[in-house]
Amino acid sequence: MIRISMVDDHRLFLSGVKAELEGSVDVVSASSDIDEAIDAIREHRPDVVLVDVHMPGGGGLAVIENVSETNPDVKFLALSVSDAAEDVIAMIRAGARGYVTKSIAPEELVDAIERVHAGDAVFSPRLAGFVLDAFADVVPAEVDPEMDQLTPREREVLRQIARGYSYKQVARRLSISVKTVETHVSNVLRKLQLSNRHELARWASNRRIV
Amino acid sequence: MNTTASQFRLADYGVVRSLDDRVVAGLAAGIGRRLGIETVFIRAAFAVLSFVWGLGVVLYLAGWAATLDSVSDSDVDTSEPITAPQRLGIVMIFLAVLLAFRAVNIWPGDAVIFPAMFVIFGLAFLFDRRAIDSRSALLSLVETPEKPGRSRTVVGVLLVIVGLGIFGGNAAPQFGSILIAVAATGAGLTVLFGPWIWSLAQDLGVERTERIRQEERAEVAAHLHDSVLQTLALIQRSEDPRKMVTLARAQERELRKWLFDSAPVPGSDQLSTAIQSVADRVEAEFDIPVEVIGVGDTPFDEVTTPIVAAAGEALMNAAKHSGAGKITVYHEVSDDTVEVFVTDQGKGFDPDSIDGDRHGVSDSIIARMRRHGGSATIVSEPGEGTEVALSIRRNGT
Repeated sequence: MIRISMVDDHRLFLSGVKAELEGSVDVVSASSDIDEAIDAIREHRPDVVLVDVHMPGGGGLAVIENVSETNPDVKFLALSVSDAAEDVIAMIRAGARGYVTKSIAPEELVDAIERVHAGDAVFSPRLAGFVLDAFADVVPAEVDPEMDQLTPREREVLRQIARGYSYKQVARRLSISVKTVETHVSNVLRKLQLSNRHELARWASNRRIV
Repeated sequence: MNTTASQFRLADYGVVRSLDDRVVAGLAAGIGRRLGIETVFIRAAFAVLSFVWGLGVVLYLAGWAATLDSVSDSDVDTSEPITAPQRLGIVMIFLAVLLAFRAVNIWPGDAVIFPAMFVIFGLAFLFDRRAIDSRSALLSLVETPEKPGRSRTVVGVLLVIVGLGIFGGNAAPQFGSILIAVAATGAGLTVLFGPWIWSLAQDLGVERTERIRQEERAEVAAHLHDSVLQTLALIQRSEDPRKMVTLARAQERELRKWLFDSAPVPGSDQLSTAIQSVADRVEAEFDIPVEVIGVGDTPFDEVTTPIVAAAGEALMNAAKHSGAGKITVYHEVSDDTVEVFVTDQGKGFDPDSIDGDRHGVSDSIIARMRRHGGSATIVSEPGEGTEVALSIRRNGT
C-alpha cells in the first residue's frame, strides 16, 4: 500500500480526507503545521505527500522546498481550494508532480496519488487550462524551443484534459496508448518546471484569481 | 594594574548609559540611577549648565566618553533611594558649582541663568518622562487631588511662573512689558496644557482608526450573516446530500466573488465572465456542479454572444438529460477562432435517433451557430457521455 503524509492547516479537512482514504492508502502522518509536517515527513519517509497550497508560515511551497533538500525521492501532490494560477504554477515549479482541487472525488484522489507514486504527472482540468494559457503565445526565436514551447500533440492532450476527460478517455479519443498520454503529460510537467521563458512568470503574476 | 585603570572612568563608579531610557545617549538616566535621583532632574541640571557657555554640553560629552553602554537595563543594580539630607546635599553641590562659575566670571549673566534654572527645574517637576499621561500638569491639580504628584505639580508650576516672571521683569525695559507678558503667558499655557492637547489629538486619531476598523468588522459580520450563516443553517436542515453540495458550491462561488472581486474591473464584460455566469445559472437551477476552464479571453460582444447562448443551451441540455455528476465547460480563444466545449460524462444518446427533445435542442444549437457563421458538432454515444463543440470565427465571416 502506498504510504502518504498529509499537510493541511484545516484539521477538519485533514480528518475528512484521511477517513476517505483509509483502506486505499496508508496515511502515516497528518500535520496541520509546516514545521511539524517537515519533521514528520523526514521521520516517516512517505511515498507521496498531499500538501495544501495555502498555509500560514510559507505555505505548501515551504514544505516542498525544505523536504526536497533532504529527501529528494518524496513526491508531492498539491491539493488546494485555491484556483490562483500563480500559486499553482509556483507549487509545480517547486517540484509538485500534480495539482488537484479539494472538491475532487475520493476515488479520483486515490487514482491521482497512485499516478504520482508511479512517477507520472497529475493534471486537473484547471491546471491543464493554466498551462495552455501560460504557453499560449508564440515564443520569440531566441528562447529554447524545446523547453519553452509545447508540441502540437502535447497541446492537444492538454486540451482534452481541460475538457474534463480522464487519461484513459484522452488516449481513446486521440487513438494513442494511455502510456503515451502519460509521457506527454510528464513532458509538459518537466517543461513547466524547467522552462525559463519569462512569459510564464509574467503571466502568472498578471493572472487574476478565476 | 594596567593602563586603563589610571584613566578616569565613570563606569568604574557604577555609571552606565541606559539603553531604554535615553534622549541622547542615556547618560542622564545612568547617572540618575546611580545617584538614586530621578533622571528628569539630572537632565534639567545638564540643561541649566548648558546655559553657562555650553558647559552642560561639554560635561555631557565627557561623561558619554567615560561611560559604557549597559548590556541590558535589567542588569543594572538600582541604588537605594537616597535620603532627604543626601538629596539636599546634591542640590547644594550643584548650586555651589554654578556659583563657583559665577565667581570666576564664566557666566553669561544672572538675568539668563536664574530664570532658565527656575523654568527648567519647574518643567522637570511637571513632566516626569516615565509617568507622562494624558493629563496636563494643571489638570491633574484640579481633577485628581488624591494623586501624590499634586505637591510636585504645585512646586513645578510655581517654579515656572517665578522663572518666567524674573525673565519678564529683566527683559521688560528692553522689549516692553506687554509683549513680554503675552509671550510669557503663551509659553506658560503651552507648557501646562501642551501635553494634554497633544495626547488628546493622538487619542482622537486612535479612536478614528478604531472606529473604521469596527465598521469594517460590522460589514463583514453582516455579510457573513446574510450569506454564509444562512447557507450553513440551510445545509443543517437539508436531508438531501445533493442539495447540500449545491448549496455549498453556490455559497463558495458567492463568497469567492465577494472576497476577490470586490472592485469589478472596468470592461469586465469578457467571454469568460459571460460563460461563467451562464454556468452559475445552470448550476443553481439544476443542482449540478459546472466547472469552467478558460484559455485566453475576448470581449463579450455581438460576435461571441451566439456562442455563449449556444453553450448555455448545451449546458442546460446536459444538466437535464445526461444524468452526469458534473459538467465541464472549456473555452479557448485563439487568434482567429473562439471555441467552447461542453462536456459531460453522462449516459449519452444516439445523435441519429430522431425522437426525443434532445435531438430538437441539438438541432437548435446547430442551427443557431450556423446562422451566425459558426459551427456546432455534437458527439455522443449511449453510455459514453456527450460533447458539444462550438466554434465561431472572431473576425466576422
